[in-house]
This record gives sequence, C-alpha cells and structure tokens, in this order.
Amino acid sequence: MEEILYENIIDVCAILMLLLSVLSITTTRMGKLVQHFALHSLVLAVIAFFVAFYTKNWHIYITCALTLVLKVVVIPKFLKYTMNKINMEREIEPIVGIPGSLLICAAMIFIAYLVAEPLMGSLDTLGGTCFAVSLSIVLIGMFMMTSRRKALTESVGLLLVENGLFLGTLTISYGMPLIVEFGVFFDVIIAVVILGIFAYRINRTFNSVDTSFLRRLKD
Amino acid sequence: MNFPVEFILLIPVISGILCFLSPRERIISYLSIALAILGTAYTFYVCGPIFLDGTVVEYGFWYVDAMSSFFMMITSTVALMVALYSRGYLGHEREERVLKTGSEKYYYLYLNLFVAVMLAVYSVSSVGMVWIVIEVTTLISTFLVGFYHDERSTEAAWKYLIICSIGITLALIGISLVYASAYQAVPEESMALDWKVLMASAPYLDPALLKTAMVFIVIGFGTKAGFAPMHTWLPDAHSQAPTPVSALLSATLLNCALYSILRFYAISEITIPEFTSTLLIIFGFLSLFIAAMFILNARDIKRMLAYSSIEHIGLISIAFGIGSELSIYAGLFMVMAHSLTKPILFFCAGNIMQAYGTKNMDIVRGMGTKMPFTAALLSIGALAVVGMPPFAVFMGDFFLFLALADAGMWYLLVIAVILIIIIFSGFARHIYPMLTGETTMDVHDPPGISRHAPFLILVVGIILLGVFVPHEMSAALTNIVNTVFGGVI
Repeated sequence: MEEILYENIIDVCAILMLLLSVLSITTTRMGKLVQHFALHSLVLAVIAFFVAFYTKNWHIYITCALTLVLKVVVIPKFLKYTMNKINMEREIEPIVGIPGSLLICAAMIFIAYLVAEPLMGSLDTLGGTCFAVSLSIVLIGMFMMTSRRKALTESVGLLLVENGLFLGTLTISYGMPLIVEFGVFFDVIIAVVILGIFAYRINRTFNSVDTSFLRRLKD
Repeated sequence: MNFPVEFILLIPVISGILCFLSPRERIISYLSIALAILGTAYTFYVCGPIFLDGTVVEYGFWYVDAMSSFFMMITSTVALMVALYSRGYLGHEREERVLKTGSEKYYYLYLNLFVAVMLAVYSVSSVGMVWIVIEVTTLISTFLVGFYHDERSTEAAWKYLIICSIGITLALIGISLVYASAYQAVPEESMALDWKVLMASAPYLDPALLKTAMVFIVIGFGTKAGFAPMHTWLPDAHSQAPTPVSALLSATLLNCALYSILRFYAISEITIPEFTSTLLIIFGFLSLFIAAMFILNARDIKRMLAYSSIEHIGLISIAFGIGSELSIYAGLFMVMAHSLTKPILFFCAGNIMQAYGTKNMDIVRGMGTKMPFTAALLSIGALAVVGMPPFAVFMGDFFLFLALADAGMWYLLVIAVILIIIIFSGFARHIYPMLTGETTMDVHDPPGISRHAPFLILVVGIILLGVFVPHEMSAALTNIVNTVFGGVI
C-alpha cells in the first residue's frame, strides 16, 4: 500500500516536471525561464527525497540536498548575474514559434514513449513510466538548445537535459554509485559556468548574445 | 613507487601548474618540454610492461590493462611531440604579436591539464568515471579551441561545447540503462559500473535494456569521436584551435571516445551479438562518405585534415564493427597509425599558416622551392595518411581490407576502396599544386629544433611500423584483441 503511494507521488512529480519543461518552451522572457528552471529542479529534489525515503539509500539524500542547493539556488542566481552583466534584452526570440514548438514537444513526448515502451518489461513499474518522462524532458531540453537564439537559453536547455537525466537515473536504477553522481553533478555546474563565460565572450566579440551570428565557419 | 597511475597523471598536472606559475615567459616552454619527456618516459616505464605482458594494474579507482596502456602510450607520445612543436609555434606567434603577452602560460596550463585528463580516461576503472572524465576533456579543451578570443574561434568553441555536451549526455542515459541492468546482476552495487565487473556479468545483463543503452552510447560517444552525422563540431574546432592543439585533438582526443566505444562493444557482443557491430559499420561508412565528399572540395587545409580524421575514425569504426579477430587487430593498428601520422600533417599546416599567413590552399603555391623541408614532410605525410606503402596507415588499411574480405563483405569492401580512392584524389588535387608552382611571397622554413625534431621522430616511427611490426608488438595487440572477445583478463 505504502509502496503504491510513493510510486504515485513520484509519478505525479515526474509529470509535473514534464509540464514545467513544456512551460519553459513557451516562455518568452529570460527571467521567467530561469524561474521555471528553478521550479523544475525543486520538483526533482522532491522526487529525489521520496526515492531516498522509499529505497532507504542514504546517498540519494545527498543528491537531493545538492540539487536543492546548487540547482534551485546557486545556478539560477548565477544565470541572473550573467544576464545582468551582459545586459541582454529580456526577450528570448525563438526561431520556431510557440505553437510550432508545442507541436514539436508533443511529437517528442510521443517518440520518447515509443522508445521506452519496449523497455517497460525490463524495468519495474516506477522506472518504466519515469524513463519515458525523463527521455521526453531530455528531448525537450535539446529542442530548446537548438531552437532558441540567445546563448544563455542554450545553457538553460542543457540544464533541463541534465535534470531529465537525473530523473532517469533516480527512477531506473535508484541513483548511480555516489562518486559517479558527484562527478556528474560538478561536471554540469562547471559546464554551465563555462557556458556563461563563453556567452560573455560572445557578447564581447559579436556585441550580441544572439547565436545566429555564429554562422561563419562552414565549408 | 606504489602509485604508478597517480604519478602518470600527476606529471602533466604538475607541469601545467609549474608553467602557469613560472615567473619568466621564456622558460615556460622548456619546462613543459622537460616534464613532457619525463612524463612520456614514465608512462612507457609503467605501461610498457603491462602492454607487453598483458598484466593488469588495479587498485583504488584505477584499472590499467593492456588496452588502456596501449592508448596511454600513444597519448603521451603525441603529447610530447606537441609540447616540442608548441615551443617553436608559440614562439613565432609571440614575435608576430598574434599572442597577447601573458597568455602563453594559460596555453600551457590548459594543454597539460588536457593531456592529464585524457590519460585519466584510460586509467579509471568505472564507466561512470570514464564519462565524467570525458566530459572534463571537453570542458578543458574548449578553452584551447577558443584560445585566440576572436570571432571564429569563439564560435568554434561554443559549438564544440554545446554539441559535445549534448552528445555526452546521451551517452550518460545509455550508461544509466546499463547500470539499471547490471546492479541486480552483480554482488556489490557500487562496483557495478567497473569495466571488469561489467565484462564478467555481461551474460546476465538484460538484452532489451542493453540494446537501447548501446544505441545511446554509440551515438553519445560517437559524437565525441566524430562519427558523421554528429561530426559538425570537429572541423570547426580543429581548424580554429592553435595548430599544436589541433594535432592533439585529432590524434588523441578522438581516441578517448573510441576507447570507450570499444570497451562497451566488448561487453555488448557477449549479451547481444552483432547488434553494436551493425551500428558501428553504419556510422563508419557514413563518416567515410561524408569525409570523402568534403575532402574533395576543401579549401582550408586544417578543415581538410579534420575531415581526414573523420575518415580514419570511420575506418576504425568499420574495423571494430566487423568483429573478427583480424578486424579488431586492424582497428587497433589504425588507431596507432593515425595518431602518429596526423600530427605530422597538422604541424606542416602550422608551418604553412605561419609562413603564408593563410589556411587557404588555393593561395599557397611554390612550397617545393621556398620551403623544401615542410614540402617534403607534407608530401610524406599526405602519402602516409591516404594509405600508401611503406607507411603505417597502409598496413592498417590492408588488414582492414583483408578482414572485410574474410567476413565475406565484398560490397562493403568495394565501397570502402572507392571512397579511399576518392580521398586520395582529393588530397592529390589540393596538395600537389601547393608543392609546385611559383610564389612571389617571401616564405621560408621556420628555423629551430622544435620545428624539425617532432616531424622526423614521427616519420621514422610510421615508416618503421609500416615496414615491420615487431613480434612483441603484434603479440601484445593480439592479446588486447583476445580481451575484447572476453578472454582472460
């Protein structure tokens, strides 16, 4: 009985994460986007907490705490800081319009379920649904990286991808070995910081953070 | 010396830090060269016996077997050549004021850390750690790609970072699926991602999970290795990085991803035979095809060389994909041959760029009379890289063709030969006019040992490997092939 309760809570949270990713695709303001990302990470932390409680794996509590501190607080702060520093306009300017983006998101969720379906038998019930959801989030994040013009939106896309990935590892295999999880975490943080540095550099060399200027190198 | 692996990794790290802290700019390059010699010598001292005897060193986080030591020796050899060449190359840039004062120490810091991380890829025991370390190679080398801070290099660095991060994320999904299928099959969860444990528990892994996992892993690490169609970052990064770094990227970074793919391939062949092979062969031919088309129409010499790397990665991937003992042997041999040949060409490209001030091959003419040394080396390098005897790549290609014929894949053999001929004609078309013709520009070979020694060492190396392979080496390579097929570790 208790198990089913936990599974349901985790399922609901996972769906919430998926909805938040779709919501961030529709966002046109940078500040809102960062807020959505923070919320996204908060839900991930809640999932981590319940998974930890459910499996009694103490090291998942650490993942949960790290998510709370780094992804809910530190990274959004850093993104806002970079945003102010390079004085970017607050508009996001998607290459694909909002309705089109939503349709593509729907297609991606469909694809994710298609990929995950044959694996449902091999994973337990929790893993099965959540794998599909996490794959959808990863795909939506990637779509955000490719369809938005601003350098910083691309880093938020990467962060969404990473959140989706963590949802996957948490629910499929109840986390990875601790050392690996630590490593992945800090890799992501460093990646975001470096992306920030380069966004700053792009802003300085091109006088804009619009990555559609990056079309010089071709054959 | 109870910590051999730590020392191997520590030497480049120390070298990087010393170079960074060095008070005088003039001694930085000497420091880097001295420590690179020490590092390479020590790597050979530790890895040589492991490679030749097939023993294993494992403790703590580390696991070094014959395969890892093979890749580690290649990496540190190339790193030494790059350290040598960097001295002359950066010296010239300093005189021409392309380089800002004070940026040289950053170059050497990133370069040495980059080498250390690449060596770490081969020596860590857990798949998860391998993933982390490969991501770190991207993070560090981004700074090297964007080293010149101008528009083009910033663009290249940005693309490199974004594409490789996405790719490597896909690989992590694959790894977590592998973990999901392994953590019940092995006694201790925290060990479930170790290469050795995975290899031993491979028969008990869930086939459905592993299939999906391998798709993610091949695409993910394939992005980093430069498989087409995920290769788009590669020509940009290789052409915009400082030339010695391009050599390092091409000859060693791509190997890191190939190594991980080969390890996973070995695991998956036990559980789901012939699944990964097919993937590798498809990606291999796609890469070969794309490379051939772009080499034919290349303008920029470094982009052409980058596409030639994609070609070789494609050939190696095909070799791994065929999956016979001969073909894996061919693949390993080609890894080595490519890593030793490509730096020669990139170093030539560096000499040309600094003399003519351009990378455009249509402008460069008359090298034969004005720059005889570079011209000679460029022709040797070009002949070697397209697979002419008596150079090492020829042997690799030859083994690969034998393996294809052996496996009865005649169509594929014909396609591969045609594509290689196209690549050959592409190289001939671009390189020959550069050697001949007339130029009014006042160009000459750059002086100094640093601009001669690395070429000569590498040329002697590839000729030796091309004409005869020592018995010990072929025995050691065969031994690695056996471990791929689940032999005694």
